[in-house]
Amino acid sequence: MIKIKWFKGQWIHITFANIALYTIMGLLVCFTALPLVYLVSTAFKPLDELFLYPPQFIVRKPTTQNFTDLFMSLNSSSVPFIRFTFNSVIITVGIVAATVVVSSIGAYSLVKFKPPGGKRIFDLVLMALMFSPHVTKIPSYMVVNKLGLIDTYWALLLPSIAVAYNFFLMKQFCEQYPDELIEAARIDGSGELRIFLKLVMPALGPAWSTLIVFSFVSNWNDYFSPLIYITSQAMKTLPLALQTIAGGAATASIGRAGAVAASGLLMTLPTIVIFTLMQSKVMETMTYSGIKG
Amino acid sequence: MEKQIKRKKKHLTLRQKDQLKGLFFVAPFIIGIALFFAYPIGLSIRLAFGKVENIVGFQVAFVGIENFKRAFLVDTNFIPLFLQTVGNTLLKFPLTVVFSLIIAIMLNRKIVCRGLFRVIFFIPFLLGAGVVMNQLRALGVDREVLSIMDGKIIPYNILNYFGGDIVTAVQKVFGIIVQVLWDSGVQILLFLSGLQSISPALYEAAKIDGATEWEIFWKITIPMISPMMLLNIIYTLVNTFVDYDNQMLGYIDTWGFGNAEFGYGAALGWIYFAFVGLLMAIVFGVMKGYMHTNEVEEVKKRGRKSRKVFTIERTKKRSY
Repeated sequence: MIKIKWFKGQWIHITFANIALYTIMGLLVCFTALPLVYLVSTAFKPLDELFLYPPQFIVRKPTTQNFTDLFMSLNSSSVPFIRFTFNSVIITVGIVAATVVVSSIGAYSLVKFKPPGGKRIFDLVLMALMFSPHVTKIPSYMVVNKLGLIDTYWALLLPSIAVAYNFFLMKQFCEQYPDELIEAARIDGSGELRIFLKLVMPALGPAWSTLIVFSFVSNWNDYFSPLIYITSQAMKTLPLALQTIAGGAATASIGRAGAVAASGLLMTLPTIVIFTLMQSKVMETMTYSGIKG
Repeated sequence: MEKQIKRKKKHLTLRQKDQLKGLFFVAPFIIGIALFFAYPIGLSIRLAFGKVENIVGFQVAFVGIENFKRAFLVDTNFIPLFLQTVGNTLLKFPLTVVFSLIIAIMLNRKIVCRGLFRVIFFIPFLLGAGVVMNQLRALGVDREVLSIMDGKIIPYNILNYFGGDIVTAVQKVFGIIVQVLWDSGVQILLFLSGLQSISPALYEAAKIDGATEWEIFWKITIPMISPMMLLNIIYTLVNTFVDYDNQMLGYIDTWGFGNAEFGYGAALGWIYFAFVGLLMAIVFGVMKGYMHTNEVEEVKKRGRKSRKVFTIERTKKRSY
């Protein structure tokens, strides 16, 4: 074991375990970071490098041509680019907010108030977990159609709010919250809403911040639902618009390949930002453990 | 006397009031699930046992188990594909859970640039639904990243010594490891938040009592993160089964949407999901006895089923 003096008078311990840990982590990081490296370098690749086989990970002659191409093709469409961004932002934020409220209140009251039929509801949730949204897409379309919501924001919002997985996640965390704290607050004369907002929600910070990240990422990237629910150009969300304008993944025309690569990078930026922001919150220690047995 | 009885009926007990409140707050979720899950699923069951006669009005004629018979007896592609998908999943999902637990534990230690490491491990998930990962998979990068075939990492002489079969097998394992790493972002995050919720006091107490790292891991960490473990297993199972590069789903899609045989597509889907359901039921059955919810619940449970779960309560009693 070697000790090295670090700044602020701290010591760094170099032990065998530490070296092993960092080596393993470093190797794993190399593999997981590959997609990101590929994404960034592809976005700056000139056209001739994009079609190299076997594909190169690192760009040799970086260029911003892809981005200018992308904005050129975006500006040539009839609907301004900012409209798509606005659609995407409003829908994603709406879904995330609604799903956090609905799942956390629902899970909390299911766990702590034990309403009649609670077990049945939970069984339904478990069943819903097994099915991919994929399977229920076409029948869901019929429901949305019957409600007359096609080509509105509601068509994209409503089906994504009550997601079984989000509910399950909140339920797992709510169960760990001790009843004693709630009872103590009740005895002290606090109302139910106040208990929920001031006691339960702050303690469940990791749970709902995880929920926000998951929900944001999946809904931001989702281009299947707008594809079936949205018919007019002005209502399209960013992923769908980028896919159609830049040529689409399936019919990627050779001339637009650069624009596709650039749009890929632009699309992922918000999700990375959200995760980096929420990351520290996700990892915050739950404070409930102050209870004594 | 009568008046009293009437009054009793009018007023709800405190418990009933609580239950009503609970029901009221779960209601939005129930409505959502009923509208966009239960009803569509019902429709899908009807499709599985029927045949669409008229697409415009969506008229379905009942044909019994005709569609299911067709899947098992007539369709020659279905069963091999089904077995292949199941085998693949059973191989990948335990690996994913174990790997993500190990990585989560490493990330939970006090290391330099913890935040950065966490973001990097989560990035494949952030890109997951996008175009990039599809491109990478289409190019076969996940299978070839750890290539030992080209003799760069291990010289040819040694490879020859081992023989072709072993090299291919090792290559396959490496390919799976990279895939697993790319798929385990969510699991790592869930395990991390589970690990974070364990009170440091427990570890401290255990250390003072002279427990080794190994004992602490099995007797504190594992029981305390068992709810997260269940959540993770379920998530991983579902995720590998409904993955977009899952060939089975593609096959179902070609029947359901491509060939417009809604009934047959629905039947295939149901056979597939019946298997997923069975697997999940097994997981729940096994995990149920080992779940740690919270200390109070644990004490209640211990009265009935003793010795199954290692409880913190018990350690405390013993040590005081």
